[in-house]
Amino acid sequence: MDHFPTNWGRPRNDAFDAYGTYPIAQRPYNGLKDAFAEGVQHTQQPIVTGTSVLAIKYKDGVMMAADNLASYGSLARFKDVQRLHPVGTNTVVGAGGDMSDFQYIQSLLDGLMIEEFTEQDGHSLGPAEIHEYLSQVMYGRRSQINPLWNALLVGGFKEGKRFLAYVDLLGTTYSASTLATGYGAYIAQPLLRKAVEGNEDKLTEEEAMQILEANLKVLYYRDARSLNKFQIAKITAAGVSITESKSMDTTWSFAEGIRGYGSQTQ
Amino acid sequence: MPDMVSIGQPQQRQFNPYSENGGTILAIAGANFSVIAGDTRQSEGYNIQTRYAPKVFRLTDKAVLAVNGFAADGSMFVKKVKQRLEWYRHAHAKDMPLRAIARLIQTMLYSRRFFPYYVYNILGGIEEDGSGAVYSFDPVGSYERESCRAAGAAQSLVQPFLDNQIYFKNQRPPPGTSNPTHLPLHEVLSLVIDSFTSATERHIEVGDGLEIFVVLAKGSTTQGLENFANVQEMTQTREGERMFNIRRNLKRD
Amino acid sequence: MNSFANRFSTTDHLRELKRAQANIEDDEFSDAAWGSEAGFGSLAKGVPTFSVPAVPDPSAFLRLHTDDHADPKCRIKIQHGTTTLAFRYKGGVIVAVDSRATAGSYVASGTVKKVIEINPYLLGTMAGGAADCQYWETYLGIHCRLHELRNRERISVSAASKYLSNLVYSYKGMGLSMGTMICGWDKTGPAIFYVDSDGTRLKGDLFSVGSGSTFAYGVLDQGYRWDLPDEEAQELGRRSIYAAGHRDAFSGNTCNLYHVKEDGWHFIGNYDISKLHYDGPDNVDGAGYGYDVRVGTRS
Repeated sequence: MDHFPTNWGRPRNDAFDAYGTYPIAQRPYNGLKDAFAEGVQHTQQPIVTGTSVLAIKYKDGVMMAADNLASYGSLARFKDVQRLHPVGTNTVVGAGGDMSDFQYIQSLLDGLMIEEFTEQDGHSLGPAEIHEYLSQVMYGRRSQINPLWNALLVGGFKEGKRFLAYVDLLGTTYSASTLATGYGAYIAQPLLRKAVEGNEDKLTEEEAMQILEANLKVLYYRDARSLNKFQIAKITAAGVSITESKSMDTTWSFAEGIRGYGSQTQ
Repeated sequence: MPDMVSIGQPQQRQFNPYSENGGTILAIAGANFSVIAGDTRQSEGYNIQTRYAPKVFRLTDKAVLAVNGFAADGSMFVKKVKQRLEWYRHAHAKDMPLRAIARLIQTMLYSRRFFPYYVYNILGGIEEDGSGAVYSFDPVGSYERESCRAAGAAQSLVQPFLDNQIYFKNQRPPPGTSNPTHLPLHEVLSLVIDSFTSATERHIEVGDGLEIFVVLAKGSTTQGLENFANVQEMTQTREGERMFNIRRNLKRD
Repeated sequence: MNSFANRFSTTDHLRELKRAQANIEDDEFSDAAWGSEAGFGSLAKGVPTFSVPAVPDPSAFLRLHTDDHADPKCRIKIQHGTTTLAFRYKGGVIVAVDSRATAGSYVASGTVKKVIEINPYLLGTMAGGAADCQYWETYLGIHCRLHELRNRERISVSAASKYLSNLVYSYKGMGLSMGTMICGWDKTGPAIFYVDSDGTRLKGDLFSVGSGSTFAYGVLDQGYRWDLPDEEAQELGRRSIYAAGHRDAFSGNTCNLYHVKEDGWHFIGNYDISKLHYDGPDNVDGAGYGYDVRVGTRS
């Protein structure tokens, strides 16, 4: 037996334990697999991807924003993709990450809502239930080492209560009054927190819209996988409404003057 | 034997199903009470994901579980423990005793020995004999009853402080006296609060809020709780044990 | 081409893993989770089942994510036990262990119980993964009791240890780590069996396991005789653990001492290793194992 304590509790590695007494020819192996390798190859990386999703709570409910771009690596591949998906009448799910996985999630949710509807039991799934369902699906898939490569925001309004929560490919969940995925977590989240925290019950629809649009613009200036064409969803007592795609005007003349941002080489 | 050659080969990049979400938990057992606490910040790397994500959960009226490590594993684990306790309640018409919950947690953690829950658990509460107890676990289920334990990001900051203040390690009592074996509730609560304010100062993953659970054995007084605002009683049965929840703010920077 | 062999062989550990993988598709707890067995989880059924990650090589997965001195990024730190010893002599078996658990270089605990009381006649020691030892020796305890119920007599130390060694052998290659001594008194008298997670099972008079074992052996071999009086035998065990605690960084804190006699085991005491250094087992100022011996009159 190996008496060195820090080697205990883990399987042997040939690199460290070439003289192990282990009799079976097959030893644990980390390298590339041969052509006959068994098992299914699971999604190991996202292919067609969406970038940040932003969401905030405001006076009347929850507002969520995402642009219309689905990138293929650094190629801006699809420019008219809707990344905000309404679920029932009280919930919107916004997605960043792999778009094919998101489409699968949409079909899951649509199937779920149909099943619930056909029960006709007077109950409908609200945002909290949708979020719980998604977190179980996401955690279940990560536990099979076959993740759905997304970061999702679930926003909603039901029975007078706002709901906003996050779930990602690992099954990690949390909720807060402002949420942002992807680059938004670095660039937009501080701005959102500054604008929203403590003002959740005061912000009007116009102000909330303004905050999100300003943040999308900031993201568009720095996130190379973003687009200046976006949609905003609001979920209030009146239900879900998602805007048509909107464009915003941007100015780039300032870039000339910023070293490392424009085309300067020095 | 091509499989024997693993030196110098590139490691295949693979999906990492684990993450680390910061935070610290802590529990201290008294003679007839138990205090279990955790901060409420959830982070990943340098990002604060949320300022309020509880890590301490009521299991029964005499048992509280604190979880720390990977948040998704933690919440799933708590969910499964609660489910098992409910099954027990349906089968036996009573709550599972604390030492049995401890063993249950061991077997549940160990059933994932080859795909571990990345969770450090601390279980606190009242034993059947009325004494305060703390059980601490490693991610694959080895456990031990102790009278105090800190786990998580600031474990290495908090535990030495507790060793000194609770076990009186490296302290010599004044001549003619001896160190007390158990501290009263108000002193324990002060130690918990000091531990977390200090951990907040020196560890970036600790802060935002502090949630403290106090479990009192049958017939013990609430003395020590009267100085706190935001005390909420959480007792649900009439077995005699009482449970309280205290919320406080920690620095948010 | 090995993957073909793997797929069709019935004995290798990958096969075992595949079987375990198939098991998680089933309900993890079945009916046993209900009713009176609700508290004992997977132990209630015959053979416990384990979730295994759905990757081509699960043991490589475990190696990647559990702790490693060469790679501090591995986050899951499993607690480790460290110096244990047991020896057989005319008066029975002496079992002595330290109480330190380390996770990397952090002392995770100084109060670990590394002697596992399997039943009133059997003791197991803990070195290696703390959870592995605790879990499987508890499991062994269940089966020793079943043996009693089935056969109307206590299990022999030999049979108990063989049960354990066969059990861990079936998990070979998957990362279990335990180095344990199963000690007890049966029809044949006092007995010690060394069992480890490689599947080794050895009968013997004197063993020490763990990173501090070399230091313990030094003291043990020098003082061991078959006809030691009880007092001296206990002192030898204590002194050996002290030596290991003093010289091995992964061992220390306190020493737990047990004596197995014909009527079962007895707990002798818990001794602080620093106190042993300065004041000795009887807590007499200046009667320590290490301090005055070295400093003499110079201080």
